Amino acid sequence: MIVLGFDTATPATAVALLDDTHPAAAAELRHEPAAGERPGHASQLLALAAQLLATTGLRFTDVDRLAVGLGPGTFTGLRIGVATARALAQSTSAELVGVSTLHALALPAESAAERAGADFGVLAVIDARRGEAFAAGWRGGRAVLEQVALAPAKLARRVAEEGGSWLAVGDGALRFRDDLERAGCTIPTDGSEQHAVSARAVCRLALEAPQGTARDLVVPDYLRPPDAVLASPPKKPSS
Amino acid sequence: MTLILALETSCDDTCAAVVSADGELRSNVISSQGVHDAFGGVVPEIASRHHLELANAVVDDALRRADATLDDVGLVAVTQGPGLVGALLVGVATAKAIAAARGLPLAPVDHLQGHIAANFLRIGADSGAGGIMAPPFVCLLASGGHTLLARVEQYDGFSVLGRTLDDAAGEAFDKGARLLGLPFPGGPALERLARDGDPHAFAFPIARNLDGLDFSFAGVKTSLLYRVRDLGPQDAAAHAADLAASFQHAIVEALALRCEQALEQTGLRRLAIGGGVAANGPLRTRLEQLAVTVGIPPRELCTDNAAMIASAARFVDAQPFPAYLSLDAYASGERALA
Ligand SMILES: [Zn+2]
Repeated sequence: MIVLGFDTATPATAVALLDDTHPAAAAELRHEPAAGERPGHASQLLALAAQLLATTGLRFTDVDRLAVGLGPGTFTGLRIGVATARALAQSTSAELVGVSTLHALALPAESAAERAGADFGVLAVIDARRGEAFAAGWRGGRAVLEQVALAPAKLARRVAEEGGSWLAVGDGALRFRDDLERAGCTIPTDGSEQHAVSARAVCRLALEAPQGTARDLVVPDYLRPPDAVLASPPKKPSS
Repeated sequence: MTLILALETSCDDTCAAVVSADGELRSNVISSQGVHDAFGGVVPEIASRHHLELANAVVDDALRRADATLDDVGLVAVTQGPGLVGALLVGVATAKAIAAARGLPLAPVDHLQGHIAANFLRIGADSGAGGIMAPPFVCLLASGGHTLLARVEQYDGFSVLGRTLDDAAGEAFDKGARLLGLPFPGGPALERLARDGDPHAFAFPIARNLDGLDFSFAGVKTSLLYRVRDLGPQDAAAHAADLAASFQHAIVEALALRCEQALEQTGLRRLAIGGGVAANGPLRTRLEQLAVTVGIPPRELCTDNAAMIASAARFVDAQPFPAYLSLDAYASGERALA
C-alpha cells in the first residue's frame, strides 16, 4: 500500500511517502519558514508532494491511502491540508484517513520510549498562540490526556495531577518550557527533531486505520470556536 | 467532450460550475452559507470553515447536474483573488489538488474579471454565439464587496474607469437597511420596504460633484443616519418606507449617472451590469431607460458564482501541470489586465 501523508497544523509543511512493504524507508520532505516568514502551506504542500512522488516515479493516482494531520493547529494551515487531501481523494481512488497532529508529534518519542522500555509518558504540545497550548498525552500506547487547549499554567497543573514522568515535545513545549519543566516534564533541547511534526508519523498512524473515512467526515480538529461575536439585534426606529 | 470545471470561494458562497469549452453554461451550483446573518456581516473564519466542508460536495453536484464526471473535464479554473484570503485558499487548494491528481491544466482567475466574463456565457439554445454581451462595452459591477466601472474592449481584460472611494454600493444598501432596523443582508429587504415609499420624500446626496467616474456612498449613508436621528424613533418608523425609497433612489441615481457619463466618455453604446446590486429592480429599470443596449445576466450569474470563473478561464493563459502547484491566493488589488 502506498501512503501519501502530510501535516500543515504547525508553520512547517511536512510531506511523506510510505510504502508499507518498506515502512522504514519512508521518505519525507519539509518546508520550514524562516524566522518572521509566513508559513508556506499554500505554495509548498502540493509542490512537495508532487516532488516526492516524482522521485519514486509515482503519480497521484498511484496513491492508495491519503493521510492528513487534522490538527489542532493553525486554522488556515489545517484547511489547506484537509482541502488538499479531500480533493486528491475526490479525484483519485485513494482512501482518506485523518490523524491527530498531536499523536503524530508524540509518536517518534513514544516509539523510542517503548523500545527503551522506559515508563515515561509523552506530552505533545503545539503553540496555540494567544498564550495557550494545544496538548495531548500518551503513556504505554494509551491516550491518557485528551486533546485540550489550555493556558500553560493550567496544562502544567493537569500534567502534575496525572503524575509520573513526562517527556514534552513540540513547538509548544519550547514556548512554555518554564511552566512545563516546573511541572516535572523533561524537554529535549531546542534544536531536537522531536519537536517537529513528522509526516512519516502521519503515514504510520494512517496505516493503523482499518479503512478510510468518508470524505465529507474528514474535517480539522480546530479545538476552538471561530472568533465571532453575535451582532446586537438591529435597533428598530420604533423602539 | 472537454469541459471547464470552476470553483469560487472568495466570500461566503461556496460555488462550483461546469461550462463547455465554447462557453455554454452546463451547471452552476451556489451553496449560500446563510450562517452569517446573525453576526451582521460575513465572519471570515466561519466562511472558511464552511467552504472546506462544502467544496467537494458542491463540485460533485456541479458535475452531476452537468451530466459529467471528472473524466470529461479538460481544465480546472479557480478564483485566485481578490477576496477573503482564508476563504480563497480553500478553493485554490481544492482546485489545485483536483487538477494535479488528474494532470490537468489550471486557470487562475481574477474575481472581477470573472464578473465581467459572466456576460460571455451562452445560456441555453436561444443565446447567440457571443453570449449575453460581447466587447466592447461598459460594465458596472456593484455588490457588497466592489463597485467598479470598467471599459471592456476584449475578452481577457478590462480597464478601470471609476471605483468607489469608500463603501461599496451593496455595503451602502446593507448599512442603510441597518439604520432602518432591517436585518442583514439588508439590500433586498430595503428594496421591499422602499416599494411602498416615495423616492422623492427626502433628498439624499448623490455625490454628483465628485471628479471623474469614481463613486462615494459615505455621504448618503451619513445623511440617512442624521435624518433618522432628527426624526426620532416614532417619526422615523412612520416614514420608514419613504426613507428607504429615497435612500435607494440616491444610490441608484449615483450609479446610473456614472454609467451615463462613462458611456458618453467612451462613445460606447452598450452597457452590462453585474454584482449582487444588479438584482435591484429600480436600478435595472433606470438603466433600461438609457438609450443604449443593456445586458443584465440572470440573477444567479450576477451574484458570486463559479460559472463566471469558468467563462473567464476560456480567455486566461492556463498553466499546465505541474506549473501551478505553488499557486497562492491574493487578498486584495485589482488586476486590470488591459
Ligand atoms: Zn463578487
